[in-house]
Amino acid sequence: MFKFWRSSNVRSRLTLSYLAVVALMLSGFGLATFVVAYSQLRNQVGQFAMWELKTFQGLLFFAPDGTLRLPHEKLCESDDASGAYVTVLSPDGALLFQSRNLRGRGLGGPPAGGEGINGFSERSIRLPSGEHVRLLSKSHLLDGRRMLIRVARSEEPIRVQARRLLLMMLVTLPAVLVVAGAAGHVLARRALSPIQHMIFRAREITAERLGQRFANDEANDELGRLARALNDILTRIESAFEQLRRFTSDCPHELRTHLATIRSVGEVGLQKILTPDEYRNTIGSMLEEVDRLTSLVDSLLMITRADAGKLPLQRVAVSVMALAREAASLLEVLIEEKSLRLVFDGEERVEVEADRSILKQALVNIINNAVNYSPAGETVAVRVLIRDASEVMVEVEDHGPGISPDDQVKVFERFYRGGRAREGSPRGAGLGLAIAKWAVEANGASIGLVSVIGQGCTFRITLPRCIAKNDSVGHTQRASFIDG
Amino acid sequence: MDSRESSDLRVLVVEDEEKLARSLQEGLQADEYSVVVSNTAEDGFYLAESQHFDLLILDVMLPRRSGIEILATLRQQGIKTPVMILTARDSIEDRVLGLNTGADDYLVKPFAFPELLARLRALLRRGQEVVRQHLAFEDLEMNTAERSVTRSGNYLDLTSREYDLLKCLLINKGRVVSRGMLARDVWKEPSRYTPIDNVIDAQIVRLRRKLDDPFEIKLLQTVRGVGFILRRGAKCSSSGGRAMYARG
Repeated sequence: MFKFWRSSNVRSRLTLSYLAVVALMLSGFGLATFVVAYSQLRNQVGQFAMWELKTFQGLLFFAPDGTLRLPHEKLCESDDASGAYVTVLSPDGALLFQSRNLRGRGLGGPPAGGEGINGFSERSIRLPSGEHVRLLSKSHLLDGRRMLIRVARSEEPIRVQARRLLLMMLVTLPAVLVVAGAAGHVLARRALSPIQHMIFRAREITAERLGQRFANDEANDELGRLARALNDILTRIESAFEQLRRFTSDCPHELRTHLATIRSVGEVGLQKILTPDEYRNTIGSMLEEVDRLTSLVDSLLMITRADAGKLPLQRVAVSVMALAREAASLLEVLIEEKSLRLVFDGEERVEVEADRSILKQALVNIINNAVNYSPAGETVAVRVLIRDASEVMVEVEDHGPGISPDDQVKVFERFYRGGRAREGSPRGAGLGLAIAKWAVEANGASIGLVSVIGQGCTFRITLPRCIAKNDSVGHTQRASFIDG
Repeated sequence: MDSRESSDLRVLVVEDEEKLARSLQEGLQADEYSVVVSNTAEDGFYLAESQHFDLLILDVMLPRRSGIEILATLRQQGIKTPVMILTARDSIEDRVLGLNTGADDYLVKPFAFPELLARLRALLRRGQEVVRQHLAFEDLEMNTAERSVTRSGNYLDLTSREYDLLKCLLINKGRVVSRGMLARDVWKEPSRYTPIDNVIDAQIVRLRRKLDDPFEIKLLQTVRGVGFILRRGAKCSSSGGRAMYARG
């Protein structure tokens, strides 16, 4: 029971608050009813006493002996409580008359100041006998003498009724609360039952079964919206998981390939006696493989660190074109060896906000990719274009074999190495573009590509433009146009 | 080998991986260092504290006590021996921690041995670095003031990159220079995940065309799997190293 009060169960809490409200409302209503009913009844008693007082007013007379009398004294001589109590006092408080049923004990004490002067005074008092009465007072002038008439009627009958009413309320309130509580509980359960379903469904969703979805996403209520939001999250998690799964299953594979090479080169080298030069060659070949393994592990480390958000970025204003030229100059010798023509075009001075070295990494990898897949003698174009006030686009276009629509989605995935038909990249581990994509996205930018099979491929990086320098850049740009 | 400067230099290697420790010892001894190896942090600390060494090579991840801790204690005691840190962790925090503790340089495992040698030499030379105006090897001569290169008196027309590359090789003449060293010193690209190796190989091919192709004796040799070296080669061919990139 104790637990129930502190329950963290929404249904119980809902029921409890509902019950509290009902109890409060019923008590308030009961109290109001009681107060109104009781004062109504008491008014009736007072009304009755007033009629009697008016009657006595007319009937009172002074007897020849100077005492005050009522002609039909019997009226108020009965002992039972249904009779009225009457006293008449002089203004100084002397008792002029009292009905016998008071047994000489008086009624209401000495007159209060102003009592009964202006119309009727009315109050409830308790008689020495313990009886509660409604007392009415009225000032009266008889034969030139001022006096105060007091008439009282018992309140006991209405107090009995009031007690009965109260008792009835106290008995029915808990009963009503029990019924209301039960009803509330049932209602809460019914309202919350979709959540119960969702809980069951959520328990079924595990890393292995991310394909499951919440079924009530059609509904247009809050729970339907919740289900849709959760389904959205699930879809995103599922695709992230899928990528991770492919990555983790590919990763040991890649490592194993290199290890296998090292091992077999070493074993074959040991099979027969070789000349020192041949041994050198064997060891050198193994070391080459170690190099590839090392750079693979380095790349993986960088990617995992990036995934974990542990690579700190230092964002500064960077001139995109300058950075692109820098990236390309690193690859200059490869470009020359293939007799490629590298052309730069577009906005020279526009700046973006980015981490210089990470963005350069992305540009190097993308230009390197373009260089790798370009046939000898072709052109690679790097363009910097202003998209709008807030975005700059960098395009790297090659005239290589192009990438099929199926592969376009996959080229940015880790370990993906285009169709095997596309020879060219001599040392790639299939991580270059994955790193480029990460590097671009880390800088708050996005990367995409368009390609027509046989005609080449254009990678597009959309970068947030550096706001602070926008204006001056715009002006110089325009100015130079006018000069030209 | 030009090893006069390193003769009789004492190096302490604190490395718990015995195989690596042994190969470091052999490699350094071949370069005429006298080497003491310690496999535990406690031993290493005791040795570093009680004897004189010209260089310390500290592994970071030692059992029980990290190399960084040893380094911190040594520096607290006022021992100023140059320290080279070896680490398998290369996050920026790790590097900063190492250098802040008083390490003079660090190398990330797996490192190229020629690079370790070059860095150790740099540590020993620290403060007394002189850029020589005249570098020479065999009939090859370089004037660093004029940035001009001749071989057998013939002027070689080198691009700026080719000149820097040759200069780096000339400074380390007779020693192997790894691709990592070239990437850092010539291309100023420290990161290991750029496609820089392809660039270096292509640049070497071009340099060789100007430097060696017109001459009978080849000077620029490829040490397969390790790097490049300026060394007097056989008379006929120097292209043995080129076959290594045939793999796709």
